[in-house]
Amino acid sequence: MRRYTPYMLLTPALLFTVFILVYPMAQNLVNSFRDVSLVREGGGWTGLLNYQHVFGDPVFWLAFRNTVVYAVAGTLLALLIGLGLALVLDMHTGAMSSFAATLYSIPWVISPVVAGFAWKWLLNDHFGILNYWLSSAGIARHGTSWLGNPHTALFCVMVARAWQFYPFAMVMFIAGLQSIPAEQYEAASVDGASRIRRFFHITIPNLRPVSSVLLLLGVIWSFNDFNMVFVMTRGGPINASMVLPVLVREFSFVHFDLGKGSALSVLIFALLVTLSYLYLQVLARRERG
Amino acid sequence: MKKILLLFPVAVLALLVLLPFLWTISTSLKPLTEVNRYPPEWVSPSMSLKPYGDMFFYLPFSRYTLNSLIVASSATMLTLVVGSLAAFAFARFRFRGRKQILLVLLLSQMLPGASVIIPLFQLLRTAGLYDTHLGLILVHTAVLLPFVIWLLHGFFSGIPTEVEDAALIDGCSRLEALRRVILPLALPGLGATALFAFLGSWNEFFFALILTNTDATQTIPVGIGLFVGEFEDVWNQMSAAAVLFSIPPLILFMAMRRTFVRGLAAGALQ
Repeated sequence: MRRYTPYMLLTPALLFTVFILVYPMAQNLVNSFRDVSLVREGGGWTGLLNYQHVFGDPVFWLAFRNTVVYAVAGTLLALLIGLGLALVLDMHTGAMSSFAATLYSIPWVISPVVAGFAWKWLLNDHFGILNYWLSSAGIARHGTSWLGNPHTALFCVMVARAWQFYPFAMVMFIAGLQSIPAEQYEAASVDGASRIRRFFHITIPNLRPVSSVLLLLGVIWSFNDFNMVFVMTRGGPINASMVLPVLVREFSFVHFDLGKGSALSVLIFALLVTLSYLYLQVLARRERG
Repeated sequence: MKKILLLFPVAVLALLVLLPFLWTISTSLKPLTEVNRYPPEWVSPSMSLKPYGDMFFYLPFSRYTLNSLIVASSATMLTLVVGSLAAFAFARFRFRGRKQILLVLLLSQMLPGASVIIPLFQLLRTAGLYDTHLGLILVHTAVLLPFVIWLLHGFFSGIPTEVEDAALIDGCSRLEALRRVILPLALPGLGATALFAFLGSWNEFFFALILTNTDATQTIPVGIGLFVGEFEDVWNQMSAAAVLFSIPPLILFMAMRRTFVRGLAAGALQ
């Protein structure tokens, strides 16, 4: 009897996992080979037709490109901001620094919907404070619609996403900085190495492992991110900021083509499995190293 | 003096990074005439808390708040019950498939919402759970479980087995030992985990957006996320909603920063 106790304890959790992971994955695969519509009877097998529809859709390729840019560039930007703030905070100690770290973390704590909302309002063409400042400084014309312009929309959403993600990177970098042995710095100082040399030869190499974890995790999370784009632009204007998760909703619940949506879901999942596999490899290397 | 000089950039940076949020707070206190004014101003004499009241009166935010509270607290309780059973199994038993099951749980944390949403939608619709509190509670529970199990596993493992052995010798069953000995000892950990779970559900947008459809079930983030496109003329009331909605997460974060940060780091590195 005792042999089965752990399995009994795990049963409810496993049922939930089946509900959220196993069943949807299987059903998605089935959907993707069938004609499934939200508004009419369907259900016939269609082979690879849904996949052909996805690959033949120029919006898919645009969204794919946008998602890669959004995930990679957005994460890099977040890592840079996070590193910069971590270095600033690392120079200070005590209550003030910990209070500042709390303030700097706020973008991560508030809901992504609130973050998207706040940025959208900040960037508002007529009444946003940013346009007022930019036009006062003569950088941009008053009334510039940053989110309504296909050339700038994706960039703005990406900045907002970086703003949301950097506190996570900052916290991890602070932990990374604190774990660098003081002896390394001391030895370098004795050898007469300048501050800048110490930064590039001690700080940066020591932060490499945490950076690679952050980069991959950030890319995976941003790749999955639906919220920021949906709240700020809904993928517009004319799909200029469309990303894959938002496109799944578009296919499935706006065009009512669940089959095509499922095919896209399967593709996103395959991409993510690849990324997650890389992530696990990086973690494994860390553990060994 | 030197200390103050060093603090200056820290304070400036704080203002800079909080700019979008501060601008929202400023807007949430202004009457509409001030909101739609150029040039915009940060502070004005006509500021008041009126938009906060209006938002409950003109927009369905009292209903959304109730929905959010129902969903987040139910999902938290359910996740804790199911999660502590599973975490107990991982922390106290060696069994076949342990590693594999842990790996699946870990992977489901990377779960792309977009990859499961269509079947979940179909399933909930067939089961009559689409656009119900229960449907969203079940989905949130499933989404939060891996992280909760992972956190609780850590807390349970920290409790020495001797305490539990004593209870077993006294004639308790394993489950009784969990209930009477482990859970009380892990209470602080359970509390922290509950807060994570609550926040996770409270802030969740994607599933809530797609699996609900009416005011009777939609949560606050759905209300804010959808209104951004529709009610752009009441930026002050929407800002008030956004600020009010952010207060619980902010308070919890301030109160539990250390655990929160440790959880962040742990969740990412494990």
